[in-house]
Amino acid sequence: MATLVSSIPDYQSRTITRTAVTTRLWHAYTLVFAAVCVMVGVYWDISWHMSIGRDTFWTPAHLLIQAGGLIAGISSGYVALKTTFAGTTAEREASVHFWGFRAPLGAWLSIWGCGAMLTSAPFDNWWHNAYGLDVRIISPPHAVLAIGIFAIVIGAVLLTLAQQNRADERTQRGLAWVLALTGGMLIMNFALFLTEYGEGRMMHSAFFYQVTAAAFPLALAAMGRAIKLRWAATSAAACFTVMMLVLMWFISLFPATPKLGPIYQHITHMVTLSFPLLVIVPAFFFDLVFHRFDGKLGTLALASILGVTFVVTFVAAQWPFATFLVESPLARGRLFNAHNYVYWMNPRYEALTRRFDPPSPGEWPFTIQLLIAMGIATLTSAIGLARGRWMTRVRR
Amino acid sequence: MNRFAAIAATTAIAIVASAHIGSPNVVFDGNAGAYPVRVIVRPPEVVPGLAEVIVRVEATDAQQVLIRPVFWRTGARGAPAGDEMRRVAGEDRVYTGQLWLMAYGAYSVYVTVSGARGSGTAIVPVNSLATGRLPLAPALGGILVVLGGLLVAGLLTIVRAAAGESLVPPGEAFDAAKRRRANLVTAVAGPVLALAMFGGAKWWKAEDTSYQRRMYGSPAAVPTMTVDATHRTLRLAVHDTAKFQAIYAPVAPDHGKMMHLFLVRLPDMDAFAHLHPVQSDSLIFNGEVPALPPGRYRLFGDLALENGLSLTVTNTLDLPDAKGAVAPSDSDDAWTVSPSVARLAPQAATSLGDGFTITWHGDSTLLAGRVTDLRFIVRDAKGVVAQLRPYLGMAAHAVVLRDDESVFIHLHPMGTVAMVSQQAFALRDRGDTTAGGRLRPEALAADAMPAMSMSGELTFPYEFPKPGRYRIWVQVKPDRRVLTGTFDVDVR
Repeated sequence: MATLVSSIPDYQSRTITRTAVTTRLWHAYTLVFAAVCVMVGVYWDISWHMSIGRDTFWTPAHLLIQAGGLIAGISSGYVALKTTFAGTTAEREASVHFWGFRAPLGAWLSIWGCGAMLTSAPFDNWWHNAYGLDVRIISPPHAVLAIGIFAIVIGAVLLTLAQQNRADERTQRGLAWVLALTGGMLIMNFALFLTEYGEGRMMHSAFFYQVTAAAFPLALAAMGRAIKLRWAATSAAACFTVMMLVLMWFISLFPATPKLGPIYQHITHMVTLSFPLLVIVPAFFFDLVFHRFDGKLGTLALASILGVTFVVTFVAAQWPFATFLVESPLARGRLFNAHNYVYWMNPRYEALTRRFDPPSPGEWPFTIQLLIAMGIATLTSAIGLARGRWMTRVRR
Repeated sequence: MNRFAAIAATTAIAIVASAHIGSPNVVFDGNAGAYPVRVIVRPPEVVPGLAEVIVRVEATDAQQVLIRPVFWRTGARGAPAGDEMRRVAGEDRVYTGQLWLMAYGAYSVYVTVSGARGSGTAIVPVNSLATGRLPLAPALGGILVVLGGLLVAGLLTIVRAAAGESLVPPGEAFDAAKRRRANLVTAVAGPVLALAMFGGAKWWKAEDTSYQRRMYGSPAAVPTMTVDATHRTLRLAVHDTAKFQAIYAPVAPDHGKMMHLFLVRLPDMDAFAHLHPVQSDSLIFNGEVPALPPGRYRLFGDLALENGLSLTVTNTLDLPDAKGAVAPSDSDDAWTVSPSVARLAPQAATSLGDGFTITWHGDSTLLAGRVTDLRFIVRDAKGVVAQLRPYLGMAAHAVVLRDDESVFIHLHPMGTVAMVSQQAFALRDRGDTTAGGRLRPEALAADAMPAMSMSGELTFPYEFPKPGRYRIWVQVKPDRRVLTGTFDVDVR
């Protein structure tokens, strides 16, 4: 699957110097490691809130997120200081200016992400005091935190990309897989933030497909274009799926009981997020579209094909799978994790999870809404394509 | 005791409209099995939020004190395992702890004391309602603005680098054309970012509005008077006003009455009545107003719900003159007019009527934010401590009202809690409720009243929420009639 793309002119347009590639490879890997820490920490933290509830600053999940943020911030800060004050010519030439300092673009983005994460801490603390401890993922301070985490992941992507875009073919192959991992984390970032819109019972409503259309095509189109693998989008989606599945199966092995009440579900082990969305299906078709049309069509035409492809293939895959998850008793086991009821889920809500949400009164017809979803997916694909095109050109 | 009081005073007291107006903190005197306990619960202003719990065990042989937050719908079965309370350094009887109240509605703190004399649990009902909203302190606001400004400036710098210098292969020059393009992209990114921040601010505002809609608002009580030769009837219609539905469960009888209605004449508070209108519909109450002088009154209606929530509704009432003698509609109605008001001074005896006196025996200095024992002794004509008859199942009732009417509470010797709220939780745990939490009336009737002292030596534990002048009415039944003693106190 991992055949290198060598037909796209942009990829081979520059002369590569080995020294430029290897000078800061450790930093790219460090940032990827930091991003993995943060993403695993976020998943673990959500699971912690679903199962145990009560937390402190010092829970292992929080420590992992903070460690990831700090590793990203400190390593990038070090690179910035070293490049500015003691950098070699090669290092300085592979960097950009920022308020009098020099470092690669990815380093600045991860420092910025670390800053956003730090800023979200007092904001979030005040938020809890003002409006109560949240049991939700989507809140303004969490949005600031999520943007910070996005920035760290994208920082890792950019740093690795800059290396890939300068590297020789052999190094590119290794870096492409690291990039697929970072792409997987980017998809995971979207998926985690949209958890509250991605419950099984919502998957037969058009709104679910509109929300997912607003997020995933962006990541898939960008990574599909930027990563120098033949099956780039599929690889990134595969990384996302594997990470989510491993975390889902592994964390749920650990015993846990709620430390907050009221407890409606008497759980005995960690509750984890639902089975990952089947983003890998549209990702595979994105790669097929890229193979057939990239370089032959304009951005808008390609984005339209991708937008329609996303909605059609994602509905085709997720819709029947949702039927299985929501209605089949077979789904309520360790493998598919459809019985992952949080401790505070009351019986009335639990009953709701076993059937699909009915359409809202006055809602537009489903087909019209799917067309809107395709429009949204076209727009996000176009942004993703532009982003991906830009990403192939990042050299510093 | 001083140390205990000092701990009790460590948290700022929230002055909010809540059940028992302006006085949300709970004080309970009772027993956890063989162990006498005093429990103070300070509920949070926000939900979910942390409640402060202080327990004083009146024994030295207690080994462990556990607290659990129990929500009415799930009962004790749906409560997390107990948290062990921390013994306060230097005190062998005082314990502190914190509990998360996660849901809106009726909670109880279950205090379990274990020791050589076995283990027992006290149920202390507490309302979990969002009553306050923390404003953004200027210092924190300033820090957030600075950090936000840095983030915005940093992001624009990154955008400029991303659109320009980062695309230049190492070693090549960042020429003027590329620089212009980068500047253009940054110029476009600025307004986009501003728009995103504007959207964020709108979102914040929407969240704030949504929170305020979930905040507790005291239900309305609408009084209507009808007067004829033999009746002066008050009809009180109660309904929720806030989006948060406080009256979620049916009204339950507390001390056998569906509502305890208190009337206080304004502005001098010189007439006081404790009445029990009859429930004619789920939230409509009717009762006769007996021999009170006409005038403007403040009314306070205490309601307890089957889910254990206790609420106070309030309004003003213009009481017309009665056209004839009006008989009370409930035999337990009691009132007093133009009372002689005693300053709370130690050992000062005040006449209650019928030959009885009441004397204040409490602390001479009352401080806000500290639990105080309001101690009184009722004596007969011979100066002997009277033996009291139960009045509404209790040895005594006290009503505390601040002179600006911002604080109102109905106290018993067991503290601020409503007994029916305790029963609601006990019955829920015993299974004497429906799945939805409805109390079975026969279960409530069969639930035995706990044994209590009927001595004329009375103690009401209470924590004044803020300084000011308060009036206290103490109601006892030393003989056939309910007698009311009235006191004024200054709280510092």
